[in-house]
Amino acid sequence: MNENQAVKYLESLIGQTVRVHATDTRIFVGSFKCTDSARNIILANTYEYRFPSSSAVQDAATKAENQDSQTTTESQNFKVNMTSRFIGLVVVPGQHIMKIELEETPQQSRVRETLRKP
Amino acid sequence: MLPSDVDRNPMMRISSQSVVPRDITDEFTQASSKLRTGQLVKDEYFTLFEAVGALEIMDSKMDSGYLGPGENDAQALEDDYDTTRELAPEQVLGVMDELLCHEMAWHMGHPLSQTVFTSLYLDKLLWPVPKSIEDAHFCRPRSSENKEEPALVNLVLRAYCLALIKCCDFVHARVTTEYYYEEEDFVTQLYNRSLLSQFDHEYFCNLLDRAISWLDEQGDSINEKVKEAIRCRLLFRREFFLALDQDIDVLESRSTDHFSFCLSQQALLTESTPLGVPVPESFSWKIQRKLASTIPPRPVVKISFEDALAHLKRLCQDAIDLMEVLHYRGPHNLKAAVWTLLSRKPQPSVYIRSLIQTMIVNNMTVLGSVSVKQFLYDELAELVLPSSTLLLANKDETEVPSDPRFQIANHMDLFVKRFAQPFVDTFRSACLNRCRIRRTVCHTLVEWDNLQMEAEDLDEQLRTLNSEPPLMLQNGDATYSYPLSSWAYHQKLNQFRLIIQLGFELSIYSPEELPGMYWYLSHICSTHLGHIDRIRTFIVATAKRNLTALAGKKREAVERHASLQNSLRLLERLTTQIVAVDAFAIALHALYVLLARHNILPTASSAQAYSSERLRYELRMKPFIPITLPELVPYEEYRREAILEGDSDEIVLERATKAISEARKAWEATLANGPFIRETQSQANPAPAIDEDWKKDIRNTMRACIGASIAIETVKKALAARGSSKNASTGVNLTVSIPEMGSKLRWHDWWIVPQVSQSQEPSKA
Repeated sequence: MNENQAVKYLESLIGQTVRVHATDTRIFVGSFKCTDSARNIILANTYEYRFPSSSAVQDAATKAENQDSQTTTESQNFKVNMTSRFIGLVVVPGQHIMKIELEETPQQSRVRETLRKP
Repeated sequence: MLPSDVDRNPMMRISSQSVVPRDITDEFTQASSKLRTGQLVKDEYFTLFEAVGALEIMDSKMDSGYLGPGENDAQALEDDYDTTRELAPEQVLGVMDELLCHEMAWHMGHPLSQTVFTSLYLDKLLWPVPKSIEDAHFCRPRSSENKEEPALVNLVLRAYCLALIKCCDFVHARVTTEYYYEEEDFVTQLYNRSLLSQFDHEYFCNLLDRAISWLDEQGDSINEKVKEAIRCRLLFRREFFLALDQDIDVLESRSTDHFSFCLSQQALLTESTPLGVPVPESFSWKIQRKLASTIPPRPVVKISFEDALAHLKRLCQDAIDLMEVLHYRGPHNLKAAVWTLLSRKPQPSVYIRSLIQTMIVNNMTVLGSVSVKQFLYDELAELVLPSSTLLLANKDETEVPSDPRFQIANHMDLFVKRFAQPFVDTFRSACLNRCRIRRTVCHTLVEWDNLQMEAEDLDEQLRTLNSEPPLMLQNGDATYSYPLSSWAYHQKLNQFRLIIQLGFELSIYSPEELPGMYWYLSHICSTHLGHIDRIRTFIVATAKRNLTALAGKKREAVERHASLQNSLRLLERLTTQIVAVDAFAIALHALYVLLARHNILPTASSAQAYSSERLRYELRMKPFIPITLPELVPYEEYRREAILEGDSDEIVLERATKAISEARKAWEATLANGPFIRETQSQANPAPAIDEDWKKDIRNTMRACIGASIAIETVKKALAARGSSKNASTGVNLTVSIPEMGSKLRWHDWWIVPQVSQSQEPSKA
């Protein structure tokens, strides 16, 4: 990938919804606006997602157990939602980024697959 | 006025379930590493300016969600505080008082995130969003058993907290429906929390009542004094809740009982607050990590209980005195009342100001009783069109389009359509904060300039329709009254004066500009006086024509005579007031000219400053440049007038002395007139509090007058002393200081009277 291709690739991402995983396990989901050579990323209309706290997990677990005891099912799985909040325009510094994901609709991914084929 | 900019965040991110995330870390990293240092790939509409506003993630100063090293999730987000724990009665008292401080800090303009929302108790009630009011309790999300134990926390404190939140909701709802300035006056941001707005008010009252009766049932288990203190807070909260719930319904009820009760509890609240024991761990700024917020984390705002109570007291008092505004007695009186109430120092809180805005006009009705059209007609009848056929024309009565009365009605409808809103806005703009009032008036001035021209067209058409008899001037020319445009011009001149005088209040002018600005004020006043004379001439002429009919003792003629006399009286009253302003401005102008001439007037700009007198003049005249009438004074003429070129010190001194004594007389006459036009003298004063405020304001002006005459005398003596010493080369032995806004020697905001005193050391050159 030369500089020209790199720029083209990054430009193709602009405006798309991107999930940036930070080193502290938080996930930032927003519209990709800008980046530079240090991989600093600016996202607009961002939501912060955080893994549920241990006490929330415990609460859910107790609840699930209570329900289990009532319904006597064996299942030990339960679901806890990640907590999210709107935080707007953010810049995630490159050194704090663990992982970057692009949100795609199945249609988009199909188009990409077909384009990749020679 | 522009609608307030309310920042509304989307509640939830909307995404379709079928979205698939694809890991692009490697591709992205590889691509970005190919970029040169300083090279950016960005959205073409995304600017560096915007980028500066971005919050930096993982920076403790910017990122409210950042957890410091060693902080784990549980400590950071949950706080170790247990909201179900038992509290001593003293502690409940402490929490209640701290909550009240936070509530008032929010009223004062601090964001909820730094005040009310720092309480872990409130956080527990509000998040997750309760589906029913029973859901909002301190034991969430654990089992809801034993919900009412311990009762002191789960009944008493919960009732207090819920009612407090609902109080905030009432205030929030009122303020957001009116014009206010986000972050200047108030922060409406809710951070994706709801203030229980969907729940009916009855529940809150019942809960408070239950808490009160529970408290009464407790025997000696609670210290009597503490019990009484908690009771007093619950009672206060109930009445405050009811008062805010009443909101604009006060137009119907005219009841101030709730606010009066709140006011009566103040002493008890102050007395008993030392009994409380604070529970600082039940408040935390960390809750900001859970709030939807686009701003960096900020510290908790702390205000003292005394400050909070002082604010609350003013709010209640203003709300009570507001009642005096509601009784409609014509536009002139309404303006005097509104302006006086809103000029109180400190300015009434944003809730009160929003409430007044709604009351002034809501659903095209003024004070809930007078239609906007009637309001405008009352104003015209008061000033320029007493008992005129123009205001009587009505399309319901004359339906033939060729009838002049039908056409008059058509034209007048057009006038109302165009003028009603701007006219009502001149009242509403008084409800903004002081800086914004001036700014808004600067903008509306241009609008009124256009309106005046439109009114002139209407006047010309109406004149032929109602065949107005012309007035013959001495040189034989005929002239017409132009009532509508005359009135618009009168409004505009009022606004000119307001802009200049608010300029003094807002400390806009530097000391070296004061001679010029006071000259300009007097110039506007004399223009205005000339204009009022013109209006008067036409009303007097109408009155003369009416005399013959009056001799016949026709009922109509008698009525017309009365309303003509009323208008003349109002014009006289306005004249007195403007003469008072004019004379005082002339006196201060002359005084400042002398100080400037002898180089004892302090200056704000240094000798090397880029600013010059001409540039400053241009800047000050900026709001007036686009205005066609009154014409802008050319700089050269302004300079000559402002420095009283060609007049000797003696003449200037004489001018100052004469003007200040005239000013004192005119202000005394103004004071004697009182703020309101009274229909009959015997009538009891329906607005005693506002009347008192208004009189205080005039008395302060008179105090400033006396201060000015002393200053003039001091200058006179010093100049005489210098003259007799036959040594004109020495400077004048005086020191001058300009009292700042708010200082004791600044008797009145609008009148900057210099402090002139003998220098300690004689300045020998």
